[in-house]
Amino acid sequence: MASKKKYPKKISKKLKAIKGKGDSKDTKVLEKSKEKEVIVHEDKPIILENKNNILYEKSGRFDFVGKNKYWVIFTTIFIIIGIIFFFVRGFNFGIDFLGGNLMEVKFKKPISISELRKNMESIGYGKAILQNTSQDQYIIRTLPLNQEQKDLILNTLDKNIGIEKPLVQDRNVAPGFSKTITRNALIAIAISIVGILIYAWIRFTVRFAVVAIIELIHDILLILSFYAITYREFNTTSIAVMLTILGYSLSDAIVVFDRVREELRLNKRDRFSVIINYSINKVISRSLATTATTLFPIIVLVIIGNETLKDFAYGLLVGIISGTYSSVFVGPPILISWNNKFPRYSK
Amino acid sequence: MKNKLGNIIIVIIFIIIIGVCFYFIYPFNTSVKLGLDLKGGTQIILKPTESKSDSQGQQQVTDESLDKAQLIILNRIDKLGISEPLVTRDFNRNIIVQLPGVDDPQRAIDVIGKTAQLEFKILESVDENNKPVLGPTLLTGDKLVKASAGYSQNGQIIVQMSFNEEGAKQFAKITSENVGKRLAIVLDGEVKSAPVIRQAITGGDAVIENIPTLEEAKDIALVLQTGALPVNLEIQESQTIGPTLGHDSLKQSILAGIIGFSLIAILMVSLYRGLGLISILGLIFYIIIFWGVIAGLKTALTLPGIAGIVLTIGIAVDANVLIFSRIKEEMLKGKSKVASFTEGFRNALRAIIDSNITTLITAAALYRFGTGPIRGFAVTLAIGVIISLFTAVIFVRAVLFLVVNSKAVTPGFVGIKLSPKNKEF
Repeated sequence: MASKKKYPKKISKKLKAIKGKGDSKDTKVLEKSKEKEVIVHEDKPIILENKNNILYEKSGRFDFVGKNKYWVIFTTIFIIIGIIFFFVRGFNFGIDFLGGNLMEVKFKKPISISELRKNMESIGYGKAILQNTSQDQYIIRTLPLNQEQKDLILNTLDKNIGIEKPLVQDRNVAPGFSKTITRNALIAIAISIVGILIYAWIRFTVRFAVVAIIELIHDILLILSFYAITYREFNTTSIAVMLTILGYSLSDAIVVFDRVREELRLNKRDRFSVIINYSINKVISRSLATTATTLFPIIVLVIIGNETLKDFAYGLLVGIISGTYSSVFVGPPILISWNNKFPRYSK
Repeated sequence: MKNKLGNIIIVIIFIIIIGVCFYFIYPFNTSVKLGLDLKGGTQIILKPTESKSDSQGQQQVTDESLDKAQLIILNRIDKLGISEPLVTRDFNRNIIVQLPGVDDPQRAIDVIGKTAQLEFKILESVDENNKPVLGPTLLTGDKLVKASAGYSQNGQIIVQMSFNEEGAKQFAKITSENVGKRLAIVLDGEVKSAPVIRQAITGGDAVIENIPTLEEAKDIALVLQTGALPVNLEIQESQTIGPTLGHDSLKQSILAGIIGFSLIAILMVSLYRGLGLISILGLIFYIIIFWGVIAGLKTALTLPGIAGIVLTIGIAVDANVLIFSRIKEEMLKGKSKVASFTEGFRNALRAIIDSNITTLITAAALYRFGTGPIRGFAVTLAIGVIISLFTAVIFVRAVLFLVVNSKAVTPGFVGIKLSPKNKEF
């Protein structure tokens, strides 16, 4: 259908001639020159441009692998900024990592943060972290508190401002508790990565398995950079988010690899880079549709959710976008470069 | 046609499953157990440390001692009158206590964590700092059969205790041998009272005096009656979610789900037309079956669980997107309807299974090594992946092949336009 408008008359005529006779499933070379090559693949003409001895598809298809340098630069910069932020400022660890007390208090009337700060200072908690979740509702974070200290704070605030009971939430975490959580999360990540590596190895080849893992690490680094740059609280929820993205990002990688695997079997003639670009073009509509459908509810949560839900939603938002992105712009260029260095498929 | 019969049977089986699920999810608002983060309540995580009771030497933390500790804690909570408590253990051997609906947990925390090691010792003397010097432990609290709070004849608040037969004999022996001395009653290393022994007590009853409030007396009686914990427990984390916060989270999640679902439906129909409609039917079935399974298994739905559901809806839709884009592709090549549908399913299935298996690998690792909320997430993720294979692949496939030969299934039904050359479709 798209074949009518874009081609010069000469080529269109040749195309018609070939279409009439041959088997439509084969790939045929129509025109070959130094700068470009025109082929017919599955009944559709494809113009391939020759740049640095690599053929890139034209004909209305998007050239994903041709501009891979720019894409790699883009995420590398983002991750480097994240690392700088991490070393300069660190993560905004939540109390489940640092230990401490968190109370979310609803007051009987709207109150400014400075007024609340003054109240906290008057009883020696001037260093408490205060964050408003709505005009009359605040999160108060302190070091771990015992019952008397907690009573002192709540009674003072109740006397001076007036608070609604019961509290919206109240958490107390002993310092050092998170060590086990962190250790377990790292074990879980390591084990899923090994499991995935083995599975991808069996189903694809070592090359694909390793590149899939590189994509996963890219996504995790990107999420961590997001937490470092935005200074959003990093807590156990964030760990759950990263683990989720492991699974999600992998599906994206596998869908691309599956298509590449299939095209490699069907098409022995074309260069590896052409096959990869062709495969990405074939799955990109699926990737975008899936990303969109998964993101719909998450975006709604980002907009309407409370702080707890937003913690989840922001991390998932970044991770899902990153997962789709890396399956198209990070993994495939690595596969091509790898193949250029150590050819296994036609270069 | 044999194949057609098979597809009809598949659709009928699904309709029966849906019926069963409705049985589980009725009544709608109470069928699914909500986690504390959605319902409000208190969760306490206790870490066992080795018991340092000097009477029995060091006690190891064993699975048996933890089982016993869990039972004792459950007993104590029951006596506090808290309904539907949940006492579980994670794989780090932390004991997790969940108290739905409790928004002022201080008393529960006080009672649950108490070791309640009761010991009777002779008060030898008082040192220069006014600290009591105690003799060896003569009798322990495990020989008690009853403990209750009350008032003594002169109006003092006391805890009355009765020993079992063996304890009563020992107690009689101790008191008869030590008349005139002071008997220290020690609870968790603290001397609660030290009355002078006036005469041998043979009735098997003892009394703790000097208790400031009746409330405290009741708590002491409660922990004595339920027995001493075989391990010391340290509170690692206590978390109380007020009822409004949990309610808000639930409401917002449901709203996000409804809006998200509508947007998904619009996108699927605009991309895949008739196919999209069938996948929406599959998705509705997916949600009902998911709901039924969660209600039937009685697993509590938590916030991370909801995140898992959001993700699995994505996975379920993804399977359909993969299949449909393949069907479109095959049709554009000029294949017949039946051939396109068959090829589309076959080609997409590989990617679907590969990506679902790797997701299951992740879910398994999360379940094995995750703590509380992460586990809830892993469970919903795994359930969702498996159900989505049934609804998005098997069910949708059966329906599609039932309608494939009808006149309504045109290229437009699939969401494509074919060039005149391919009209024979």
